[in-house]
Amino acid sequence: MIADDATLARLMAMAQTGDREAYATLLECCQRWLRRYYTRRIGPCQLDDLVQDTLLSLHRKRASYDPARPFLPWLAAIARYRWVDHLRKVYRADETELDDSFAAQSDEPGISARISLERLFTHLPVAQVAAIEMVKIEGRSVSEAAQATGQSESLIKVNIHRGLKRLAALIEKD
Amino acid sequence: MPDPSHAFIDSLVADLEPVAPLTRSGGLTGAFVAALAAVGVAAFGIGLRPDILAGKLDPVFLLSSGLFLLLACAATFAVVQMSRPRVGNHQTGWLWAAAMAALLPAAGLLTWLAARLGGGHAAVDLAGWKCLVMGITLGLGVGAILSVLLRCGAPTSPERAGLLTGIAAGSAGIFAFSLHCPHNDIVHIGLWHASAVVVSAVAGRWIIPALVRW
Repeated sequence: MIADDATLARLMAMAQTGDREAYATLLECCQRWLRRYYTRRIGPCQLDDLVQDTLLSLHRKRASYDPARPFLPWLAAIARYRWVDHLRKVYRADETELDDSFAAQSDEPGISARISLERLFTHLPVAQVAAIEMVKIEGRSVSEAAQATGQSESLIKVNIHRGLKRLAALIEKD
Repeated sequence: MPDPSHAFIDSLVADLEPVAPLTRSGGLTGAFVAALAAVGVAAFGIGLRPDILAGKLDPVFLLSSGLFLLLACAATFAVVQMSRPRVGNHQTGWLWAAAMAALLPAAGLLTWLAARLGGGHAAVDLAGWKCLVMGITLGLGVGAILSVLLRCGAPTSPERAGLLTGIAAGSAGIFAFSLHCPHNDIVHIGLWHASAVVVSAVAGRWIIPALVRW
C-alpha cells in the first residue's frame, strides 16, 4: 500500500524536526512510490540505482520541502530532475522488459496523472520521444533506433539532445 | 543477507539531523533586507539625488527606477519559488516584468537613433560606466542571499535560477544606485542602468549553477 499525500506530508514534517522513526517510514513509502513512478521510464536494471539516487537527493534537499504544501508534487519534481539527469548519462540497458504504467497503478490518479513522467513526454514532439525511449530507456543503439523510426542516425542524436534539453526545462511543469 | 535497500535507508535515517524548512517568507525577507541595505548605502553612504532632496521628482526617474524595482521583486519571487521545487510551479511573472523593463534600453536606443538620424546631438555619456559598476556592486548582497537560498534549496533548473538571481541582483542594485544617479536621460538609463542588469544576469547564469549542489 502506498501512503496518501497527507500522510507523507506529515511524516516529512516530522522528519524535518529530526524524528527518525517517521523518517524511516517515509523513506520506505517513498522508495515504493518511486519504484512505481519510474516503472516503464527506465531500464529495469537501472531502477534500483535511480531510486537510491532520488532518495539521496530527497535526504540532502529535505529542507526545500515546505510542510504547508503537498508532498508528492515536491517529490515528483526531485524524481523528474534525477530521471532527466539519469537519461543524460549514456548507457545501454541489457534488459528492456517494461511493466505497466505508474498512472494506471496509482492510488491517487488525479495527482498521478499531473505529476507522471508520461505527462512530460506529451510536451515533446513524437520524433524526440521515440528517440529518447528507444536509446535512453530501452537501451537500443542509435543505428537500431534509426532503422526502427526511419530517422537518420544524426537526426536521432539531435532529437535525443533536444528532447533531453526540453525535458530538463519542463521538470516542474504539470 | 541484509537487504541493500534497507541498509541504504538505514544509513540515511542514521544521518538525519533536524532542518529548518525553506519558506517563501524567509527567502523574501532575506532578499528584502539585502536590498534595503543597498538602498541605505546609496542613500546615506553615497548620497541621494538632488531632486529627491528637493522633493521634485522627475517622471523618467520614477518610471525607470520603478521598472527596475518591479523586475527585482518579480525575479526575487521566482528565485525563492525555484528553491522549493514542485510539479506545477509556474514562474512566468518575471518574464512580463523583464519585458516591461526592456522598454528602457529600447526607448534609449530609439531616442539615440532618432537624434542621430535627425542630425542632432547624439553623444553617449561614457562616464556612465560608473552606474554600471555601482549597480552591480550594490546588487551583490541580494545576489549572495539568493545564491545561499538556491544552494540550500533544490532548483531543478540551476541555469535559469542563476540567470534570475543575476537579474534580481542587478535590478535591485541599479534601483538603489538610481536614488543617487542624477541623470534623467533615457539614453543613459537605457544603456548604463540596463547594462547592470544584463551583466549581472550573464554572471549569475554562469557562476551560480556551479554553486548549486544536488
